[in-house]
Amino acid sequence: MARNAEDNLASGGGFSPWPAYLGYALLYLLLLGPVVGLVLYAGSTRWFFPDLLPATWTFETFWRQLSNARTQQAIGTSLLLGGVVTLLALVIALPAARTLGLERFPGRSLVLLLLFLPTIVPPLATGMGLNIIFLRLGLAGSLAGVVLVHLIPVLPYTIFALIGVFVRYDEGYEQQARTLGAGPLRILWQVTLPLAGPGIAVAALFAFLVSWSQYVLTLLIGGGQVITLPMLLFAAVAGGNPATIAALALIFAGPPLVAIALAARALTERTTTVGQQY
Amino acid sequence: MTRIALEHLHKTYPRQAAPALERLSLEVEAHTLLALLGPSGSGKSTILKLIAGIEDPDQGDICFDGRSILSIPAHRRGAVLMFQKAYLFPFLSVADNIAFGLRAKGVNKATIQTEVQRMLELVGLPAMAHRRPAQLSGGEQQRIALARALVVQPQVLMLDEPFSSLDPAVRQNLQEAVRRIQRELGITTILVTHDRSEALAMADQVALIERGRLVAHAPPQRLYERPPHRQAARQMGIDTFLTGRVTGTTLQSQFGPLTVKEVPSHGGEALYAIRPEHLSLGYEPCAHSLAATVQSQIYRGDHVEVQVSLGETVLRVRTNAACWSNGSGVFLHIPPEHLFLLEEARPEPSRLV
Repeated sequence: MARNAEDNLASGGGFSPWPAYLGYALLYLLLLGPVVGLVLYAGSTRWFFPDLLPATWTFETFWRQLSNARTQQAIGTSLLLGGVVTLLALVIALPAARTLGLERFPGRSLVLLLLFLPTIVPPLATGMGLNIIFLRLGLAGSLAGVVLVHLIPVLPYTIFALIGVFVRYDEGYEQQARTLGAGPLRILWQVTLPLAGPGIAVAALFAFLVSWSQYVLTLLIGGGQVITLPMLLFAAVAGGNPATIAALALIFAGPPLVAIALAARALTERTTTVGQQY
Repeated sequence: MTRIALEHLHKTYPRQAAPALERLSLEVEAHTLLALLGPSGSGKSTILKLIAGIEDPDQGDICFDGRSILSIPAHRRGAVLMFQKAYLFPFLSVADNIAFGLRAKGVNKATIQTEVQRMLELVGLPAMAHRRPAQLSGGEQQRIALARALVVQPQVLMLDEPFSSLDPAVRQNLQEAVRRIQRELGITTILVTHDRSEALAMADQVALIERGRLVAHAPPQRLYERPPHRQAARQMGIDTFLTGRVTGTTLQSQFGPLTVKEVPSHGGEALYAIRPEHLSLGYEPCAHSLAATVQSQIYRGDHVEVQVSLGETVLRVRTNAACWSNGSGVFLHIPPEHLFLLEEARPEPSRLV
């Protein structure tokens, strides 16, 4: 009897939990299925049609990819690029989102539309034109040029993630800190940033993910000089060796998983403390 | 410690036609508590924001002990503001919240620790240091906010309706705590409120503000018993006004002849007022009564408010019993000793200290 009541509570009152469990199972299958496939491909040397599992197992392909100097360099470039782009995007997006979130000024919708445009217009369209401009400015083929061009698709997501924070932001906390004797810098570090913490975590995650998976713009502006992980991946896909493709794909998926885990942690930590107040 | 002088302060907010403050001058003596009383939107909070430095005045000057503070940035003025919302930083513990201002000043760790504990004891919450703000009740949050404001030893403490979101018992408790601590530490304090009884109970001086102007400025008892003019009298809850010429000790009021004790020094029209609790009702006429009709009554627990009409005018009378039937003819007794003279409402603010 007591057991029954507990089961009912767990499933949200009165319903059998089994459909929910089935739903979870399907969801995990959908999410993990491709990853399992990748792991199998990366770990196989011989895997022919009628066999359910590869005939021989080895992680040699994976380690060979990981110890390859070209791969390592590409990982380094991608991480550096993602990091710099994320930082720059936050520095630009924070004041922009604050103004757009807190103030109501004429032309605000137009600004929002312009900011949103890069997410609708295909990057190839802007990238071709930008290529010419960047060539003239001497930015083509340089890391700085690629950072700049990554900001185009990154900024909309960052700004929109942060506007959500500032629409509900109460400037009273900052005024309170000011009258208590805190200067502008102290207020930024000890009041504004902690209050906006969860939003900043989400914005940083978006920025990193968009930059990390960027291919077309990196290729157009980097012109083969700036080699990132997606470019190696595309080359491997063209090469057609499933084990190599799978190994690179697994390496490619690693940092985003870490980023998502970090953001999720920041979110749950903040929301439990901030959330309790309301 | 600090004497505050506001000189001809003028402030208009952008995109607003009417000024929030109009050439307002006011002084707050050192160590005292001044209450700014007025309806919402009258400019009371603007005064606090100007003193705190959150807003800047368009014209005028603010002086602490005779020195202008307008060129000093907000965080160095030593003027701490407490809001209706406690604004405790949710990501800091109670102790870290209180320490916030001391850390900004660069005070060393040992001093911070002893000061924080001293403040927690002062506000009566000695064991709360390690709690999170979210774990405190509304009243406790305001107490911690008070501790956080007091720990920096401000020159001026400003309270912007800090009690209005609390329930009555907690509110009274906190009012008493603030009053006790303010006396103990002698901090010059300004309290903004729209609650008349709060202003009267807490303040050494009350300043009435209406539409950005100073209407009156006097000690609470003086203001309550003898408001100088009609505007101030209305804010003190008076709505019985009598006008007319006085011959001898007889006022030819709009309702009929009445005896008065106070006589105006000049001839012409005189304006009298009387508090609702000094009026009384009876079925028999007396020497100082007017015929009236009972309109309605409101039971308020400790008293009954009866509305009576004299011709077109409706007056409120405070009585002890609800024994009047609506529509019945009664006599309104107006004791001459409680009728007092008002100055006609003048556009210029007047000051009585």
